Amino acid sequence: MLARCGFGRRGLLKFAIAMTSSLALPPSVAPVMAANLAKAKRRSVIWLSFQECTGCLETLLRSSSPTIDQLIFDFISLDYQESLMAAAGSAAEQTLREAMAANKGEYLLAIDGSIPVKDGGVYSLTGGRSNLSMLEEVAADAKAVLAIGTCAAYGGIPKAYPNPTGAVGVEDLVSNKPIVNIPGCPPVPEVLSGVLVHFISFGRLPELDDRKRPLAYFGTTIHDQCYRRPFYDQGKFAKSFDDDGARQGWCLFELGCKGPVTHNACASLKWNGGTSFPIEAGHGCIGCSEPDFWDAGGFYTSLAGGSATGWKSAGIAAAVGLAGGAAAALSTRIATPLEDAPASPPEKTPPEKTPPDKLP
Amino acid sequence: MTDFSFLADDALVDALIMEIAGLLRRLIEHGEAGIIDVLGLPLPPSCVASLEQRLGHGEVTVRLDAAGASEIRETGIPGVWWTRHSNEQGRLVAMLIEVTFVPEILKANIADVVRGAERLPALTNVALRARGADVALRARGAGRPHDAS
Repeated sequence: MLARCGFGRRGLLKFAIAMTSSLALPPSVAPVMAANLAKAKRRSVIWLSFQECTGCLETLLRSSSPTIDQLIFDFISLDYQESLMAAAGSAAEQTLREAMAANKGEYLLAIDGSIPVKDGGVYSLTGGRSNLSMLEEVAADAKAVLAIGTCAAYGGIPKAYPNPTGAVGVEDLVSNKPIVNIPGCPPVPEVLSGVLVHFISFGRLPELDDRKRPLAYFGTTIHDQCYRRPFYDQGKFAKSFDDDGARQGWCLFELGCKGPVTHNACASLKWNGGTSFPIEAGHGCIGCSEPDFWDAGGFYTSLAGGSATGWKSAGIAAAVGLAGGAAAALSTRIATPLEDAPASPPEKTPPEKTPPDKLP
Repeated sequence: MTDFSFLADDALVDALIMEIAGLLRRLIEHGEAGIIDVLGLPLPPSCVASLEQRLGHGEVTVRLDAAGASEIRETGIPGVWWTRHSNEQGRLVAMLIEVTFVPEILKANIADVVRGAERLPALTNVALRARGADVALRARGAGRPHDAS
């Protein structure tokens, strides 16, 4: 099958070498992985989108990595995805039922988006059915569940204070199936391909950490892998986004970078085909792959609780660049006087409600 | 004042050279190949460059075109190969030091060899002429060569 698709043995072996490196497996495993992939049966994947913005799907589809669009889709059969499939309405529902029946107990269930549970889950419906009901039914016969993106993993932005829909992540509802969390807002696409290839090659999920994240990608913090880390060690910090230190690549810790407490592979895999990642573009990490990141303090408040001189202009510029509710939401986050901000805000503390026109 | 800052990098390079030496001993004594994933090591670029420079260039450099370009180069130490794999966008996806007689990816696969052997007779002059006649006759609507008599 792969030869017909234009992938020779050498191409497949090369792909396996890259994947073993990405998954932190011994390189000697690559020939075994390539051999297994060559004879692997396509694995059925059912993808359900719940309370989400479609950003996770967009980033995965628009990845320049060939591992997604040129190789992965030869190893999986994406049997149900509402945004991508041609079928709609009752035909789509029939497709879902058929895929579940034909692959009972063997399909992978991918979820993006959180699940609202308040008031019986009425705040997000598909075809008149609540996300909660669909998850219960489809997860029951799944081999494993992949929670893709921070919303599916931990509730994400829909769960942010005051969480009007009672949004939760997959692991709050599914307890009897193996779950892999691939958080990020959006997640790094190569992590999903790595998890899928590992599962298809070896018939089991990769090693996970205590938050059910693939250890190979989430085992270290952004800070540990950051190219600006030597400046942190030397005590050289940018004080504003356009000072000499920032231009020389000094550490963005004092400008609110959450890299020291954020586990993800952005600094090593990077984005847009390995072009760069947010810190390389000059902005601190906002910690989007960690639980409750939206309520965990200001993006421009340093983890030590202080603030550099440049945060106000940066915050105002960002707020001006956003429209309506988004601007209001951001402004409430940056409106808190940082001099008074706690070093580590309590996990469930709601942000202060300062109107947008009260920006400092 | 003498600058000794290079010593930290040098210690990492020396450690890798000793690991390569160990892998070479295993290859010589037991015929077992070994691989070091250079991209997977927390090495600064200066270290990688230093190691590559010290290992030097050997007699063989191979360019591979399979799902993107690859360069497989024997270093100045026979049996030690420096391999770079890039994807179709030109992004480096793997960098390996392979300690082996011939890197695995260069060897032809038996299934591919069988398929190639099946295709070979079609490349003879007789086969090509027959196919050319077949194509010409079909273009004139005369059917296959043996039907045309």
